[in-house]
Amino acid sequence: MKLKELWQENRMLIVLAVLVVILSILGLTGMGTQSFVRTALSGLTLGSLFFMVAAGLTLIFGLMDVLNFAHGSMFMLGAYMGWQFYTNPTFLFGIAPLIAAFIAGISLLSVIQPLVVGWELSENWQKQLPNLLNIAAVVLGFIALRGVDFLGLADTAMVSIAVGNTDPLAEISAQEAFASFWFRPLLLMASGALMALASARPGDKTRSVDKSAAKRGWIGFGLLVALTVLLVLVRESGPVAVLLMNGDLRFFLALLVGTAAGFGLGVAVERVLVRTLYVRPFFIVLMTLGLSFVIRETVQLLWDPLAYQMSRPPAFSQPGKAENLLAWFSGNNTTVNILGVTFPSYRIFIILLGIIMFIGVILLMQRTRIGMIIRAGVQDREMVEALGINVQAVFLLVFALGTAMAALGGIGAAPFIPVSPAMGDAYQMQGFITVVIGGMGSYVGAFIGAMLLGMARAFGDYFALKLSLSPAIAEASTVIIMVIVLLVRPAGLFGKKE
Amino acid sequence: MENILEVNNIHTFIGQFHILEGVSIAVQPGTITVLLGRNGAGKTTTLKSILGLTPPREGTVLYDGREIQGKRAYDIASMGIGYVPEHRAVFRDLSVGENLKIAERNKGDFERKADFIFNLFPDLKRLYKLPGNHLSGGQQQMLAVARALVPDNKLLLIDEPSEGLAPILIQQMMEAIRTLSATTTVLLVEQNFLMASRLAKYFYIIDDGKSVHEGLMEDLVQDEEMIHQYLGTSMGSTGGKK
Repeated sequence: MKLKELWQENRMLIVLAVLVVILSILGLTGMGTQSFVRTALSGLTLGSLFFMVAAGLTLIFGLMDVLNFAHGSMFMLGAYMGWQFYTNPTFLFGIAPLIAAFIAGISLLSVIQPLVVGWELSENWQKQLPNLLNIAAVVLGFIALRGVDFLGLADTAMVSIAVGNTDPLAEISAQEAFASFWFRPLLLMASGALMALASARPGDKTRSVDKSAAKRGWIGFGLLVALTVLLVLVRESGPVAVLLMNGDLRFFLALLVGTAAGFGLGVAVERVLVRTLYVRPFFIVLMTLGLSFVIRETVQLLWDPLAYQMSRPPAFSQPGKAENLLAWFSGNNTTVNILGVTFPSYRIFIILLGIIMFIGVILLMQRTRIGMIIRAGVQDREMVEALGINVQAVFLLVFALGTAMAALGGIGAAPFIPVSPAMGDAYQMQGFITVVIGGMGSYVGAFIGAMLLGMARAFGDYFALKLSLSPAIAEASTVIIMVIVLLVRPAGLFGKKE
Repeated sequence: MENILEVNNIHTFIGQFHILEGVSIAVQPGTITVLLGRNGAGKTTTLKSILGLTPPREGTVLYDGREIQGKRAYDIASMGIGYVPEHRAVFRDLSVGENLKIAERNKGDFERKADFIFNLFPDLKRLYKLPGNHLSGGQQQMLAVARALVPDNKLLLIDEPSEGLAPILIQQMMEAIRTLSATTTVLLVEQNFLMASRLAKYFYIIDDGKSVHEGLMEDLVQDEEMIHQYLGTSMGSTGGKK
């Protein structure tokens, strides 16, 4: 009885485990230990990257039924942000005060709200005024960003591609002169304030006014203005200080910066673009697809349509081979010996990053209240809302967490795949296939699906080379797996939604 | 006594369909009020309109003297309204314990209420660690009601608690609702007339999206003609829906 239950509960896992064991034995005997281990490690590396993209996709889809076609762009953008921070943070230090100023403007909402709620406006004005204000805000923002010379800002983003230069400041560019910079944060703050005024909906008497929120609003505004001023002050010295830091610490910070950028962008996209379209899922597909083009074009504008190679952090770039993982800790070598195979140590780091992220997702979903709400919301959003839980706030968090994970994947991948505007596309496609195989909304499914795809790619490549078949076989293998899984289990391996 | 809930002539649309065409209800604190009527008359939509899940397009809903129509459902629920939907919307992937804890509005809500809840539904204590999809239909229904008891709700909206339950479980559910009504006001939707008549003090009949009759339950029980006209012949049946 117990055995039967165990079988029914974990049928999928048991079948997969048996399959893995059989395939491993066949692979080990057929390929020899060396090539098998090397190929399997390559598969794990790819699988880890696929998981970082797929985890966010599956959570976002499971909870909100949103297919985010801009997910690959977040992966790409994370890579750019992290790489930029690592090699030439000038641009990031240049735009940080702009972002802070804009948020400071928006934070005035709770201050503006009580002032404008009493305005006497005709119904027509009440409807049109917010639109006009928003347009004005966008125009202001455009002037602020484009400015007299847009390229003045864009120039700071460029990197002088100096290969093999040991001077950490080799790739730094000069910050835009203050004389042409100072009006940008001011205009953006005004733009943010206009948007706040628009969302306060002047004259709308049904808005509830909270006096104590206005006080907190002033405090928040003050802090953000102080932050803006501080960021303006460190514009010049910040990049130099970052570049003179220990390389490993700088890389760690780059991971954080990339992730934070993904999170922030996720918040902005959900609040501004996705939220109004939940009732029309198809529009979201079109909107996110369009957004991905906008992001890519912007990136091409700033960095030119080139591919860059980010150098590995020092911890993975000392010449020579470490005899085992422990020896790597002291030697920081480029490659490490695993079961007799020489394997790049940075890829081991990617595998670890993927596993850490998977464990993080499990802990979040199983051990926290947020995770409990997400699991409940995947099944029945309405009931969660009826319990008094603000599902929209949870949506925002999940969306931002998803994009943050994709961005972290991007910066993690940057040291070994070229950083280019199209780098996210292939991973987004694999991410979608992973989600379909694993089952929409299941993070365990996403992990196993990602590993399955990674292995299929790696072993497909190996056999294509060995049997001199077309390498397209490896790429096709993922789609073939998807077709087989869908035929056997239409909802995916761990899918529950019908 | 001032009414805890007043629904005044609400009209609700779902898509293009005009589901409620004027429903008015008043619920006095500390009572059980039941909404009666045929399938599809608009009883469930009335509950959902009160809670803001299907917001009414016209009319007002007053809870505790405050207008709540047009507010978001989570805001309305947070004001102290619990909801037990039909079809036992228990979260299948959550354990029984998690199903209860997710309803907490303040930390520790569940611990304070645990004894009260397990007294009403002793089974749940035994099933505490099982996932929601392992429960039988009756156990899920108990869990759905128990979940609404975790926070300090002043008003419970309970939709068809007896649906599909075995007679012995209906008895237990009735006892539970009677016990909890000592501390909470209840607005009930119930097809099982016998159960409704034993529990409720007041009734409203909803027909074709309108509230057409109201009064004391004890009067309705005598009025066989009205029962026949609006409710069919379900009088005296104990087995829930046919």
